[in-house]
Amino acid sequence: MTELTELTRELCMLHGTSGDEAEQVTPRIIELLPDGCEYKTDALGNLIVTKKGEKAPKNKVMLAAHQDEVGFIVTYINADGTLKIAPVGGISPEVVPGRRLVFKNGTVGIVGGKAVHQQTDDEKAKLQKFSDMNMDIGAKNKEQAEKHVAVGDCAYFEPNYAELGNGIISAKALDDRAGCAIMLRLLAKELPYDVTCVFTVQEEIGTRGAKTAAYTVNPDYALVLETTTACDFAGNEGEKRVCELNRGCVISYMDRATIYPKELYRLAFSKAEQKGIPCQTKTMVAGGNDSGAIHTAVGGIKTLALSVPCRYLHSPCCAASKSDIEATERLAYEMYVTLCEL
Amino acid sequence: MNLKEILYTLCKSDGVSGNERSACEAALSMLKSYTDDCFIDGFNSVIAHIAPHDESKPTLLLDAHIDRIGLIISHITSDGFIKVGKVGGPDIKTLAAQTVTVHGVKPVRGVVSVLPPHIKSSDEAMKADNIVIDTGYSADELKKLVSPGDTITFDCEPGSMIDTRFCGGALDDRSGVASVLYALELLKGKELRFNLDVSFTSQEEVGERGARIAGYNLNPDFLLEMDVSFAKTPDSNPAKCAVMGEGVMIGIAPSLSREMSNELISLAKAEKIPYQLEVMNGETGTNADSISVCRQGAKACTLSIPLKFMHTPAEIVDICDIEAVARLIAAYASERSSSND
Repeated sequence: MTELTELTRELCMLHGTSGDEAEQVTPRIIELLPDGCEYKTDALGNLIVTKKGEKAPKNKVMLAAHQDEVGFIVTYINADGTLKIAPVGGISPEVVPGRRLVFKNGTVGIVGGKAVHQQTDDEKAKLQKFSDMNMDIGAKNKEQAEKHVAVGDCAYFEPNYAELGNGIISAKALDDRAGCAIMLRLLAKELPYDVTCVFTVQEEIGTRGAKTAAYTVNPDYALVLETTTACDFAGNEGEKRVCELNRGCVISYMDRATIYPKELYRLAFSKAEQKGIPCQTKTMVAGGNDSGAIHTAVGGIKTLALSVPCRYLHSPCCAASKSDIEATERLAYEMYVTLCEL
Repeated sequence: MNLKEILYTLCKSDGVSGNERSACEAALSMLKSYTDDCFIDGFNSVIAHIAPHDESKPTLLLDAHIDRIGLIISHITSDGFIKVGKVGGPDIKTLAAQTVTVHGVKPVRGVVSVLPPHIKSSDEAMKADNIVIDTGYSADELKKLVSPGDTITFDCEPGSMIDTRFCGGALDDRSGVASVLYALELLKGKELRFNLDVSFTSQEEVGERGARIAGYNLNPDFLLEMDVSFAKTPDSNPAKCAVMGEGVMIGIAPSLSREMSNELISLAKAEKIPYQLEVMNGETGTNADSISVCRQGAKACTLSIPLKFMHTPAEIVDICDIEAVARLIAAYASERSSSND
């Protein structure tokens, strides 16, 4: 199996916002599935993969990571050939003006408006609303624009993978292709117990894929592999940093969708300590992930989230550390084995 | 000569005001196809004399600025993040989550930090004072690579959009530089009405400083200033903008020579060069303001290229507009044949 960083990089280059996963992301993950895996897709597009281990586990364990990323959808084409777009998933309007966005057919556009020289002080001080933004693909009019894009097409942050200092990588869609990469590599191992790994869809618009996947798989335990908000950059002090890069896997006690079972939270920390895997928790209750949908499905599923701390989530350049992705990979494996035997 | 290739090369060069050297070298190497008499002056401007001067002819200067807006390192924090000052007037609101290159001992990649929507609650836009650049490095490692005073450019791979539209950083004013180079190509082998000089000047974005120096040294009688101006976007005031793709913007202003403006308008009509008027009510906000008052003064006119998203990381121009500018320069500079009447 491909090395973890390289696999993460490759997956981040693919385009697949919520509802638009099936063209690029799902087929590539299927191609990358190691030998010995069986898979199926469901009505929403979840990719449900099973692999036999040496023996049946005491408890059925499901791992989950979402395939989709935040992006944009074209809602209208203006007479002058510019496009109206809406975010798919939670994107701050702050990161959109000035950005280059791309369509899967290669069309490039820029979100922008009048020059800074012509803006009022109020316009400079306040974030623009999505409804006031226009995207320019270089078309002279609506007719020319329609040769390149259609209403309903999805646009993506331009892929711009980069290696920063200290083993930090930067790319769009690290949320949650990092989790997908970890699951793919876990599936490549000789496994002690049977496992189900779900590459869920539509997480970013309300953890929708996870709802049906949890019902279908109906596990005893679920392990969600995610990225989570690190705010450890200059200007944020103390608890406002939430979690920090190069400090290991994030084990959550609570976010805005889930209160994690205390016994699993403690178990993960003790397992990490026992195996020498760096880990941390979050210092603010923020965000949410597929755990919210999974833990309340099919009469209740005990669920734990293991996350890679990631700066600038939902932006064109999320930043995460290789060492944290590795720590999350190691702890995910240990916890899968532990939960199978619990 | 391919305009898109020229633009690509020019936009790939850094060259924030005060640090224009690499952009000057790129422009200089292209100028060398037209004259051997060209060099970079002591203030980072490219200067060229296109042919030996004839004392009986007036001198025409073609000027465009070579510098680009950007940021400059003002401080490195104890935890290894970069604080900055503005160089020129970048649109700060477009910088959140932008990737940047810090031009230190070697180019260092960075990201402009931004709070994720999960955490951010206010609707306040980013201000220059709040910009924090993340390179991943610790303060000790970072200080070996970059220092206060190093300049920062916004990353944007230049490239074609639909049809004749082109996107890149620094199209303000590398597209003006490209229009001059293309005009020189059109003028190859032509008789000239003027002694022809070219300057690609530094530090326009911080106050037309390179132009004041070059204007004094070159002492032109006439100036054509090639800069970019505002192209209409859906949210802008149409009365204050040109339409992209509809040709060169010929300047009319109290600070410009109306005689030149009128002559350029007649030439554009005669040569069927698409043009539009850019009427200003005082100075022009370009190097024309400074060069026209060097020494005893020069008659000046602006030929502007409509540009969208000025001073953001990804600006847009239409190649056809640059061609129109170049054709009008060539028509103005060349000796009129008697067949023109």
